[in-house]
Amino acid sequence: MSVLSQLNVIQVSGLTKCVNTLEGSLTILSDINFSVKSGESVAIVGASGSGKSTLLSLLAGLDVASQGDVHLDGEALSTLDEEDRARVRAEKIGFVFQSFMLVQSLTALENVMLPAELAGDHDAKAQAIELLEKVGLSHRLEHYPSQLSGGEQQRVAIARAFIGSPKILFADEPSANLDSKNGHLIEKLLFDLNKQNGTTLVLVTHDEQLAKQCQRIIHIEGGQLEKISEGVAANVG
Amino acid sequence: MWVKLAFKLFSREFKRGELTIIFAAIALAVLTVFSLSAITERIGLNIAQKSSDFIAADRRLSSNHAFDPKLQTKASEFGLKSAQVLYFDSMLFANDELVLGSVKAGTDTYPLKGKITIKDSLTSQAYEVNTGPKAGSVWLSEGLFYTLNVKVGDIVELGAGVFNISKVLVKEPDAPFFSLSGNKRVLLSYKDIPTTKAVQPGSRVFHRLLFAGNEQQLSDYYTWLKPQLKNNQNWQGIKDRQSPLGNNLDRAERFLLLAGLFGIMLAAVAMAVSAKRYCERQYDPVAMMKTLGGSRKVIRNIFLLHLSLVTGFSIIAGLLMGFVLQTIGADYLATFMGTELPQAGIRPWLLSSFIGLICALMFSLKPLLDLFDIPPLRVLRRNLGDTLALSRLHLALSFMTIFVLMWLFSGEIVTTLILFASTLLVITILFGISRLLFAAGRKLGLRPGSSWSLAIATLQKRANANAIQLISFALAIKLMLFLVVLKNDIITDWQMQVPPDAPNMFIINISEQEVDPITQFFTDNNIAHEAFYPVFSGRVDAVNGEEFARSVSKQEGEEKDGETREGVNREPNLTWLESLPEGNEITSGEWFSGGEEIEVSVFDGWQETLSLKLGDTITLLVNEQPIEAKVTSFRSVDWGTLKPNFVMILSPNMAGKVPVTYFSAAKLQDKHTKDISHLLQRYPTVSMIDIKSQIEQAQSIIAQVSLAIGFVLSIVLISGALVLISQVQASLAERMQEVVILRTLGAKGRLIKLATLYEFMLLGAIAGLVAAIVSDVALLVIQQQLFNVEGRMHPYIWLLGPSSGAIFVSAIGYFMVARTMRQNTQGL
Repeated sequence: MSVLSQLNVIQVSGLTKCVNTLEGSLTILSDINFSVKSGESVAIVGASGSGKSTLLSLLAGLDVASQGDVHLDGEALSTLDEEDRARVRAEKIGFVFQSFMLVQSLTALENVMLPAELAGDHDAKAQAIELLEKVGLSHRLEHYPSQLSGGEQQRVAIARAFIGSPKILFADEPSANLDSKNGHLIEKLLFDLNKQNGTTLVLVTHDEQLAKQCQRIIHIEGGQLEKISEGVAANVG
Repeated sequence: MWVKLAFKLFSREFKRGELTIIFAAIALAVLTVFSLSAITERIGLNIAQKSSDFIAADRRLSSNHAFDPKLQTKASEFGLKSAQVLYFDSMLFANDELVLGSVKAGTDTYPLKGKITIKDSLTSQAYEVNTGPKAGSVWLSEGLFYTLNVKVGDIVELGAGVFNISKVLVKEPDAPFFSLSGNKRVLLSYKDIPTTKAVQPGSRVFHRLLFAGNEQQLSDYYTWLKPQLKNNQNWQGIKDRQSPLGNNLDRAERFLLLAGLFGIMLAAVAMAVSAKRYCERQYDPVAMMKTLGGSRKVIRNIFLLHLSLVTGFSIIAGLLMGFVLQTIGADYLATFMGTELPQAGIRPWLLSSFIGLICALMFSLKPLLDLFDIPPLRVLRRNLGDTLALSRLHLALSFMTIFVLMWLFSGEIVTTLILFASTLLVITILFGISRLLFAAGRKLGLRPGSSWSLAIATLQKRANANAIQLISFALAIKLMLFLVVLKNDIITDWQMQVPPDAPNMFIINISEQEVDPITQFFTDNNIAHEAFYPVFSGRVDAVNGEEFARSVSKQEGEEKDGETREGVNREPNLTWLESLPEGNEITSGEWFSGGEEIEVSVFDGWQETLSLKLGDTITLLVNEQPIEAKVTSFRSVDWGTLKPNFVMILSPNMAGKVPVTYFSAAKLQDKHTKDISHLLQRYPTVSMIDIKSQIEQAQSIIAQVSLAIGFVLSIVLISGALVLISQVQASLAERMQEVVILRTLGAKGRLIKLATLYEFMLLGAIAGLVAAIVSDVALLVIQQQLFNVEGRMHPYIWLLGPSSGAIFVSAIGYFMVARTMRQNTQGL
């Protein structure tokens, strides 16, 4: 493995995803190639149905590619079974979703601790409290998701994403369900924490402004990689 | 490591009420099985005890020959208690009066079951004792006191012996229900038999060995005894239903069994619905956990632990609630009956726990497997995994489980099959109806904005979910209708058997000359009475010239009808009649032709016992005079009525050929006591048999069982209501999302509420109609097959089903949706 590829925490090569429909095979993604360096922030943008969410699911090992491969921190996902992919996610990946995806029966603190507990780490409480403090929810530790506002729920989700110090953070339209004030707050929080932790950020969005805050922007159109452009953060970073 | 997380999730899910329905469903199954099987077992034990009282033992062996003493020795080796009883007729003599009495001599242990009722004098209060008279004294029935003109303390000669009359014999537990000799009974100690010298070689005597013990001991003993039984020996048990109420009690047991099956079925439906719903609600958390790196194994362990915990808790809760419920029920029944019900054994505990376990495991297995299979990708594609919801495997597994549970509980394949098939029929019909309805709805030109169009549109949109809902509603309504109707039928049937004006006194030994004055007496005193039947005794001596003993095989089975209890050794009461009496039905052959030949109609229960066929000639010995009669018909006899029934009825051309006495029955009241004693003084040979106590006993048992049935019915009704509630609740979350969307689009609360009301009303009415139709058909089959009563249609349930379904379902649906609307609209 080359030094370059070691620096690339995500290496995508010839990635193709087809699904079978009643009308026959449908290609959702076709021959996608790119790489993401460690600590880099990358936005994946495209219109609805362009295939950007599918790309995210393949990058995170939530789905399997029809052709091609994704190397995550040196591990080829195509060679792993579902259990191993879950292990890779547990060890290396954090997630933030549009619909927050908090477990309704757990408190804010417990939701943040959940990934650590699933990995068998039961001493994550201190880290979880610290993360919730960072997202400004130290006074909401024992609240259930239903007792929190949308913005607060997403902040819990962000704290959860950073527990266990993942190498890569995947965010799927993190501010799409929020009003603009809360949305901006969440975006800022996400970038700040990302910077503090030196995490690689892969952000799926249709919001050009948000995408520009990343170092690079991958444009997907009709299942194909249209272009890769530089964001505002590239010049800063 | 996952254990802590699992417990945390479990306690939260439990608090949030996510597990409430699943908990309630298992607890309900356990509660239903426990309380029903415990109550049934306790009532069953009580009935068995009562039945044992009827034969003064648990089993008895009868013969007209003396028994080998080793039979009794062996019985004690098997741990059984035994007693010996000898019956014979002997002359009694006192105060220059001579009369033929029916003597029963019992050993010290007689009666093994039940009690003997006696009085210290003719006028004193009756009370119960456990043993018969001591050696040297006799107890006489009331009739003999009048006939012999004696009182307690007098001396009576019985055969060659002289005895002190120490008590008035009122009732023995095994006294024949109706017998011509009923009022001339003598009870003495077995030790005194030699003193009487009445039993000589060749004397007509009848021997009985009585046994009591537990079922195992009795069955072991019978296994030993069976190969040695002789042709003239007859083994009888309580299953023979000595009581004329036997058939009714059998029906009651069957009803309780059915009710139990229904309870299980309903709880199973509730469990299936709630398990599926719970698992579906866990799809998102599971997809999230998988996304966050949770392994399949950890997730499986977490949810299996949840299942184990909820199963464990709900079984314990079900057992506790069931125990309390059955204790209250049994105490109530006990107070009502004035006797304590025997305690149930360990079976209800084991059976209900096992059924709870099977319910939990089988109904949640497939939903859980589906849950484990939820792909993590669901976090991005929100509907992924939803297609797993309606699986054929789950349906097949659920049906199989319900069938096994029913079979396990009832132990009866026929009952289970009938119920199961009728249930499948409901499901098939409803699937068809729901498909048709939803297809037809689409074609209707819907006026936008009306509550009805919204209701129909909602029904169509959730065709599958509604089909399942419709089926559960219909099943619940069907089972409830079924039991309500069956309960009414059974109880009405019983009440008809013992109507309020049923005669309570049999008048026997009426000579031909006495018939007119006694009829006059009844008319003068305004006493309702039955016709006067000519009665005579005869022994069946030969069939087609072949001596009877050789033509009959020994009795092997225990399932025999009541009247064969004294087997063919008994001298049955015979009569001749012009027409077929009430409660009798010709099963083969023809009623009397009116020809020269003497014809006989035989109770069909004796057809097999005597190996008889139509056209056979029976030789009857009446007063040692042989009478030949041709068998021209066999009859079924309803022994459940308290009317006189005859094993053999001869053709009217018997009149004048044999001496007869007449028999009648009347309804007497307390005010008639004095007049009756005058009548008895005027006609001293006439005897009265008071059957008030039998009628009271019959009425008390009917009341007791009716009460038990009502109690069981209420349990099933509660189960049914819970199924309906759980089913409405299952669809509530989805409904609420729609409510929010509709409200956002400007729909008024009234429109939404009305639409919900109409939707549930439609669902309820359709479910109720199908339930009514299927119930009625299933009732026809069940009544004929299981209850041996005439199947009849019940037009009122065709109205009751849809209307109660519409009202019940719409009320539950409306209130639950209205409540959720108040609580959640703001949040959503």
